[in-house]
Amino acid sequence: MTDTAPGLPRLGTTLFSLSLEQRKPGRDFASLVDEVAARDLGPGLEMVAFQSLRGWPRLSDDAVREVRGVIDASGLTPSCLAINNDLGLYPGRLLSDDESYEYVAVQVRGAAALGFPVTRVGVETSPAILERLLPLAEDLGVKIGVEIHAPLTIEAPPVAALKELFTRLDTEWLGFIPDMSSSMRAVPDAVDDAHRAAGISPELTALTKELWAEPGPTMAKFPELERRAAEAGATPPQVGNLKMLFTMHGKMAPERWADFFPHVVHVHGKFYGIVDGQDPSIDWPVVARVLREQNYTGFISSEYEAHAYSDRYNAFDQIRAQHDMLKRLLEAEPAVVG
Amino acid sequence: MGPLDDQVVRADSLTATPDGLDVAVYSHWYRALPLPSLARVDLTVDGDRIDPSALDVTVNGHRYGFAELAGKGDEYWFTTDPVVLHVPVDSAPGREHRVQLLLGLSIPYILTGPDRVPLVAPSATDKTLIAAGA
Repeated sequence: MTDTAPGLPRLGTTLFSLSLEQRKPGRDFASLVDEVAARDLGPGLEMVAFQSLRGWPRLSDDAVREVRGVIDASGLTPSCLAINNDLGLYPGRLLSDDESYEYVAVQVRGAAALGFPVTRVGVETSPAILERLLPLAEDLGVKIGVEIHAPLTIEAPPVAALKELFTRLDTEWLGFIPDMSSSMRAVPDAVDDAHRAAGISPELTALTKELWAEPGPTMAKFPELERRAAEAGATPPQVGNLKMLFTMHGKMAPERWADFFPHVVHVHGKFYGIVDGQDPSIDWPVVARVLREQNYTGFISSEYEAHAYSDRYNAFDQIRAQHDMLKRLLEAEPAVVG
Repeated sequence: MGPLDDQVVRADSLTATPDGLDVAVYSHWYRALPLPSLARVDLTVDGDRIDPSALDVTVNGHRYGFAELAGKGDEYWFTTDPVVLHVPVDSAPGREHRVQLLLGLSIPYILTGPDRVPLVAPSATDKTLIAAGA
């Protein structure tokens, strides 16, 4: 395993990184977990329950035993189970608070049965529901973390409301899961492949990247992007794809992750590709410094997401490269002993 | 948009049956979705638009009318499984069909806009394929 020195964040992998690998003939849950272990991409193991576990959210006792058996045999350590609050489950209405609570509670119980110490929910899970889930989390010994993913930043009103909640409750069982998609320094080059396939011209892709990189809040740039893309001949679906780049890639300064502490329960090591040992789109030297300065000793789950844009790269190789980079960065200075 | 779009309808997706044409459809979303998420199935076969109300859908071994899916929030379409659209058009083993499909998946945990409406993730397919025998 890519063990980091004591007192440092620990590395790991989420099976979400292997979304394309999962579709290949002959692949199953056990073979993905086994290959993560065989390639030393632990010790932490995360997965999206609805992606990896057939029958979720109601696994049979046999299925629970089977999943636990696969993880135990791999030698990996369960780090986080990503669960979902499907508020828009039914057409034309959102789940009521009672329905939402039950929908999430069943999954927190499922995470406990599988041996995961942390679950991940999205920001659609309201502070009121989280507060209601707290006794269950305490009782089961399972933390519930809200993922902070692009386009959210520290300035977003829902984030401020969560910070207020976590501070008021002063609990270790609820907290944040930073995802580096919120703090990127460049749009990843992997989007070029997806845009080519979608018939979007390289000029339009370049225009979108330039606008993204300009100073100022991203949300304020949507009108200019729409206008200039339409002038350049983009179709409405293509404009939608270009706007998605603004939504999926946030520009918060990575130093601001310090403001989420001490309420961080897990970290998503989002990345879109490592080139020559460096990450062109995420400033990992700064992120690693922040995590170290905050004495964070939880997991960083490597979350390779360029598979959403391109099948050109091997996800296992990419995670290997990220782990090597992270280990180097985290161990660059002696760990801060708090 | 992305590598999974090309896998929504695969080279072996078409099967001619005594009732018509079966089209095996795979999800372009990374996780299992509840059946109401199968929100939009704009299907054209050989130039003829298929009314969704004429479609039956088999998922997890159960066959439903398309409209029934909206009420099946306690059942899920697993990541790597196909759903099979039963299309009432003439077919036969070895016959070629042009299949155009705009699949719109309602993503129930990504809510957009002031009204908090689920994102609909589209995937467009236009393929000409040969039907196998049942």
